[in-house]
Amino acid sequence: MSAPSNSFQPDSTDLDRLHSAVKREKEDLQTGREPAPVLAMFLAMIVAVIAGGQLGTMTGGYSFGTSNPFGFVAGQDPRPGGGDDVVAMDPFQSAMKKGANSYAVCGGCHQGTGNGIPGQFPPLAGSEWVTGGTERLVRVLQHGLIGAITVKGQGYNIPGGMQPFGAAMSAGDLANVLTYIRNSWGNEAPMITKEMVEKVRSTEKRTAQWTMPDLEQYAKANVPGDIPAGPGATASAAATPAAK
Amino acid sequence: MQTTHSSADTDLHTDNLRRAAIDKSVKGPVLFLFLNGAFWLMASTILGVLAALKLFAPSFLGDCPILQYGRLQPTHINALVYGWGIQAGLGVMLWIMARRSGQELKNGKSLLYVAGLFWNIAVTLGLLSILFGGNTSMEWLEMPKWIWPIMLVAFLCFAWPMATMFGRAFRPEGFMISTWYILGACFWFPWIFVTANVALHCLPALGALGAGINAWYVHSVILLFFTPVAIGSAYYFIPKVTGQPIASSQLAQLGFWSLASLSGWTGMQHFMGGPLPAWMPAVGALTGVLLLVPVGVVGLNHHLTTLGKHDLVATSPTLRFTFLGALFYPVSGIMLALMSAFSTGATLQFTNAWYGFQIVAVYGFFSMCVFGAIYYIVPRLTGCEWLSVRLIRNHFWFSTYGIAVVVVTSLVAGVQQGGDLNHPEMWDQDFMQLVLNTRPYIVARAIAWAMITWSNVWFLIHLILMVAGLGRRSSAPTLLHHDHEDAAHPHGAHA
Repeated sequence: MSAPSNSFQPDSTDLDRLHSAVKREKEDLQTGREPAPVLAMFLAMIVAVIAGGQLGTMTGGYSFGTSNPFGFVAGQDPRPGGGDDVVAMDPFQSAMKKGANSYAVCGGCHQGTGNGIPGQFPPLAGSEWVTGGTERLVRVLQHGLIGAITVKGQGYNIPGGMQPFGAAMSAGDLANVLTYIRNSWGNEAPMITKEMVEKVRSTEKRTAQWTMPDLEQYAKANVPGDIPAGPGATASAAATPAAK
Repeated sequence: MQTTHSSADTDLHTDNLRRAAIDKSVKGPVLFLFLNGAFWLMASTILGVLAALKLFAPSFLGDCPILQYGRLQPTHINALVYGWGIQAGLGVMLWIMARRSGQELKNGKSLLYVAGLFWNIAVTLGLLSILFGGNTSMEWLEMPKWIWPIMLVAFLCFAWPMATMFGRAFRPEGFMISTWYILGACFWFPWIFVTANVALHCLPALGALGAGINAWYVHSVILLFFTPVAIGSAYYFIPKVTGQPIASSQLAQLGFWSLASLSGWTGMQHFMGGPLPAWMPAVGALTGVLLLVPVGVVGLNHHLTTLGKHDLVATSPTLRFTFLGALFYPVSGIMLALMSAFSTGATLQFTNAWYGFQIVAVYGFFSMCVFGAIYYIVPRLTGCEWLSVRLIRNHFWFSTYGIAVVVVTSLVAGVQQGGDLNHPEMWDQDFMQLVLNTRPYIVARAIAWAMITWSNVWFLIHLILMVAGLGRRSSAPTLLHHDHEDAAHPHGAHA
């Protein structure tokens, strides 16, 4: 890559040796004078019309209602009841659906089947802890659980116990996932509402994980509150329309 | 340069000598750019494989923060754009501009080496900064902000001699189509680069408009640097190899001026429906669709030029790569139109299709044209012929299949992803699930990048051997037909 001097003049020997490729090149030609085909002009006009159509949707000045390209804004809300008619949504079905999504966190230990792993993680399916007193169930999820416990007659003792999930989850999420586990895999029990979780949170200020003896007093107790839908729905909310 | 068929042998001989002298004058800088570019291209393709692997198998390569998708992906794209694309583009621009203008590179060659060196130092430091966490999180501008003045000055060092060559050249009307595009790229890139960097790095934070400017920058670099360089190269090499003049200067002018006047308006439609003044995405969508006009016009012109010469595509490496690259121009143009028009763009917005468009423009269209140019230029600079037909075929087919897979899977994945996200019935679906649904396409992307890596490792080795002067000593070009035919046409002019 040495820099040649400005006076460099390759002689024909150099050319033959170094630049035989240059000799076989075709010469540069004057561009043809063929006129553009009429068909091409016609197609270009069609493109221009389609392109101009993009401007048409944006002529509403500062109003977002008209100056936006997407027609579906004014369309029907796909949620049951159209979104604005909240009463029409069945709270139980909605909680089950949302709870199923949140259950991904629980499934790591308790498994997708809700059966847990024998000797390691207790089952949720058919568990008296799950379908029993809601005071106890909410507290387990809110603050965690440690030490030896008995579920469906089997003893379990996980090192570290179950972690508290209350701090990381909203009351609504917590209620949804509890409703889900209380009504899956053959379980059937009244739903837990957001208000019930909030009630427990406001009264119970424990920071450590629970142990089985500590929770004994709550084993049969249910958090008071309306049950709007699902199994054991209270009369006050029975007028709610059923799920679609 | 202005020889005619009636000119005497001495005229032809003098003209040959003149072109040989021009080649000799740009030899060093052009080979420097090609070689470094090919190295960055190989690095970029390897990073492309790793990034795709990390996307579907996040635990692969462990927890080291340097090797996570979020750092590998921008490094991969930046290596492709700045390490390979602009660098190799400058090499092709310099050679074509010198040849087409009939001007030797008189002085300032050492400045070009220094500029090239600084460009590569800047790319190296910039990519390392991304890997070590210095990402600015602006697309295609991920390198730290102190990099851009170095790159700008280095680019201008190359653009200046090209502009002066054009200024000195004898320019008969309608004769300089390829150099219009190249001269345009010399001016457009600094304009885009300065505007975007000043707006995003030097002005106080612009919020939503900053995102719009970023999208404008990506569109503009593709449409006002990569596209003109690739078209300029195709306009030079297609007539050169086929021996046919460019069919229509009228179409050529229409194609050039429509590209030049429309491209700078695109970009904001990337944020259609977003918090930008309504006219910005509207104008972007308008021009994004209207850019189908230069695409069609240039494609038609190339088609009319190659008419009846398609057998040369099978034999000449230059024409084969250029032809495929020129075929990818309509593909990229149609993808841009689909992503720009509001009806289809609403689905393709923020999906894998965006990545597919970037790759089809930079690799499928631009790089293929540049490979064609490199296969033509390098033998003239090194004085030896390409070593192996097999390596060229290997480069062509693995690149072709690889890029086709990347483009098709990205587009299909984009349609699926965007369609699911926008579908009213999907209102309660988990976002992550929709991402997981695109996994097969990402696996295909990893395989495709592995194929492209394979082709480019051999391309780099082939190029190194050529630059080292270890190519074939022969006066016959390396053509892609069977070896015995090589001997039958020793002076085949279409190399």
